[in-house]
Amino acid sequence: MGLRSILDNLAPHFEKGGKYEKMYPLYEAVDTGLYSPPNVTNNTAHVRDGIDLKRIMITVWACTFPALFFGMYNIGLQANEAIAAGNGTVLEGWRELLIALLGGSGHNAASLWDNLVFGAAYFLPVYATTFIVGGFWEVLFATIRRHEVNEGFFVTSILFALTLPPTIPLWQVALGISFGVVIGKEVFGGTGKNFLNPALAGRAFLFFAYPASMSGNAVWTAADGFTGATALGSAAEGGVTSILNSGITWMDAFLGTIQGSMGETSTLAILIGGAVLMIMNIAAWRIVAGVMVGMVAFSLLLNGIGSDTNPMFALPWYWHLVLGGFAFGMVFMATDPVSASMTNKGKWVFGALIGFMVVMIRVVNPAFPEGMMLAILFANLFAPLIDHFVVQANIKRRIARVS
Amino acid sequence: MSANNDSIQKTLIVAILLCLVCSVIVAGSAVGLRSKQQENKANDKRAAVLQAAGLYEQGKSVAEQFKSKIQTRIVNLAEGRFATDAELKEIRDAGLTVDNFDQKKSSKTPALSRALGSDEDPASIKRLEKFAAVFIVADGDNIQKIILPVHGYGLWSTLYGFLALQGDMDTIVGLGFYSHAETPGLGGEVDNPKWKSLWVGKHVFNDKGQVAISVVKGGAEEGNPNQVDGLSGATLTSRGVNNLVRFWVGDTGFGKLIDNLKAQGA
Amino acid sequence: MSEIKKVLTEPLFGKNPIAVQILGICSALAVTTSLKVTLVMCVALTLVTACSSASIALIRNQIPNNIRIIVQMIIIASLVIVVDQILKAYAYDVSKQLSVFVGLIITNCIVMGRAEAFAMKNGPVLSFFDGIGNGLGYSLMLISVGTIRELFGAGKLLGFEILPLVKDGGWYVPNGLLLLPPSAFFIIALFIWALRAWKKELVEKAEFKILPNTEHSGGH
Repeated sequence: MGLRSILDNLAPHFEKGGKYEKMYPLYEAVDTGLYSPPNVTNNTAHVRDGIDLKRIMITVWACTFPALFFGMYNIGLQANEAIAAGNGTVLEGWRELLIALLGGSGHNAASLWDNLVFGAAYFLPVYATTFIVGGFWEVLFATIRRHEVNEGFFVTSILFALTLPPTIPLWQVALGISFGVVIGKEVFGGTGKNFLNPALAGRAFLFFAYPASMSGNAVWTAADGFTGATALGSAAEGGVTSILNSGITWMDAFLGTIQGSMGETSTLAILIGGAVLMIMNIAAWRIVAGVMVGMVAFSLLLNGIGSDTNPMFALPWYWHLVLGGFAFGMVFMATDPVSASMTNKGKWVFGALIGFMVVMIRVVNPAFPEGMMLAILFANLFAPLIDHFVVQANIKRRIARVS
Repeated sequence: MSANNDSIQKTLIVAILLCLVCSVIVAGSAVGLRSKQQENKANDKRAAVLQAAGLYEQGKSVAEQFKSKIQTRIVNLAEGRFATDAELKEIRDAGLTVDNFDQKKSSKTPALSRALGSDEDPASIKRLEKFAAVFIVADGDNIQKIILPVHGYGLWSTLYGFLALQGDMDTIVGLGFYSHAETPGLGGEVDNPKWKSLWVGKHVFNDKGQVAISVVKGGAEEGNPNQVDGLSGATLTSRGVNNLVRFWVGDTGFGKLIDNLKAQGA
Repeated sequence: MSEIKKVLTEPLFGKNPIAVQILGICSALAVTTSLKVTLVMCVALTLVTACSSASIALIRNQIPNNIRIIVQMIIIASLVIVVDQILKAYAYDVSKQLSVFVGLIITNCIVMGRAEAFAMKNGPVLSFFDGIGNGLGYSLMLISVGTIRELFGAGKLLGFEILPLVKDGGWYVPNGLLLLPPSAFFIIALFIWALRAWKKELVEKAEFKILPNTEHSGGH
């Protein structure tokens, strides 16, 4: 227990009255990151599981890895293919240097390593910026408010970074995560008291503040001069035919070899992470199921209604599933335990509301081809209300039983 | 406050006196300032006309510039000719003025407009007026520039503006909108001078005389005289502008007038 | 004299109508995209508040209690219409941008609030200055919000270019969110946060406190 005793020796300096009392949150973060927290419940004990908040958050973080690694590979694949086809040129700059340093010679779309290195050169700086800037706010608030640094930020940071397009300027990343952490979470009192998903709040800020970097045809592939509609964009133009014409099959969209946000393209990789989360009972399967039910039901309804002018009406549900940020939002964003409904029935309603809204926004709203972010933020607002009604209904039912 | 303030008599007296005083003040200011306000409103539109035609000079009285440079003519859209005296009387009978023709109002007047079917209404304007006021810059009988009022639906709002053409009824002098509510920074960029300058010198018609002007998403072909770049990030506003311009230079809009004026000029 | 000073300065921070009393928010969202429009709105509101408070205070002893709100409304509405007419005649561009919001000063809670809470109980001179003071408090917030929104949203102040935009060959990428109404909510909220951090007495007592559920056991 060498490390343990070092930490224990350091502890008095950080605890009340010590020299670095103000820095306690930092010490605490390191200590409990390595060892289980020393806190014990002091009223009625209700031990249920060996797992605690920290391990939950780390597990969620780890479960994004399939999407993350596939995402990095895909960033490289998309860009290198575009460069090989002459649709875009290499974006010169420090990232090119980084790629060369990591041994990614040439831009060979057939080489797994080239693609992965290329993707890493785009994703890692974004993630590092998110982590450093967001972490700075997190520690600052923890220090001023004397609470502990929360591991929820691990999850927030990775989710935020994965939902951005690869070409996003780093200063915008910094602004976005600052907004997400400060306005989306800390103003309400920190983790557990926020009613919006901070990662999505940050993304929404960027989406409205800098639409040119967050939407359109030029931002999704990291090659200079390349423009091309996303699969969802072509669906808005001419439905499924239009997607197929642009050379994208359903399988491509499911596997994720299409352009899009860094970690959102591969439905398969996301579902792998999601399956682990649901089996471990970390992500609420009821929410995921609710989202699916809401989305399938409403898109079937719209398929039935049909429209002469809007091809999105005819888009079948299995395309909705694989396009845009639907799968990612469903698995990682909607299931955020803080901003979702708490009650079991509430989770179904909450999920269904998201599923309904995402199809509504994608199909009916002419301005935004993607609707997952807005749908989840919308449902976040209603989560406490949904819980309220579920609880009231339960109380009513039980009162009826005794009287 | 003494109790007798609440007697019915007192209440009535206060109420009546107050109403009298306030109505005199309000009516006084409204009447006293009316002429100035109407002047302002008219000048606002005149300035938009001058700007579309590229004739606007900063710092000079809009009214004088307009008077010295521009003639207003009422046009019968369906016939494609200037309105006859009988038609001008028809407009006056419907309660509108000819000098300061309010096209927005006329499109809402049943006697002066008709509903458009969805197949002939790409600009989503719902009702088409019978008459429109066009503005002409003339050198004697020779038309140098003609400024056509255009409007149509973008993403969130109806855009109102003017399209100015050279005397050849083909080359664009300018396009500008004076009223819209598109998203600031995206669709709102229709007001961007840089984008507006893209229109200058483009041609409305192709070699065969068909309407060919169009706003192209993703970038116009180099050197194509009929294409204008779309606004980046504002697909629907660009589409709206495309539709409304094509509609108003087309046969349902000013197409017939343009043909007739071309024939006269030739 | 000190009374006048008090009613003039108090609404600036400690009793700021927007940041503390949360009144008049709607117009603060709508008119603050450009500083010029904001300034005109501020002048209009300050004048209306001051004049309506003064005139209501002048006749406060004659106003029958049961129709007092109606009387206040009529006076305020008349003043607003006059201001609107003047703007349309002498500042047409600005009045076009302000559109209905000048008219909506009638329903601005600050004006009604000062009339009912202050002018009904105080003399006309004091009420006039109270109106000016509250108008200034409103203006202070609006001008700050307007400055931030126009500067960072469009790179300009009063229409003059301060930060050259990328699309015109400069370096500044404008923040589009600041041109949309919700941004005013965020900015006002941040101001309120800052004000409460500065003046602790403004913070309400918490209604309840969550008891700690765990305690630090010390050992491992």
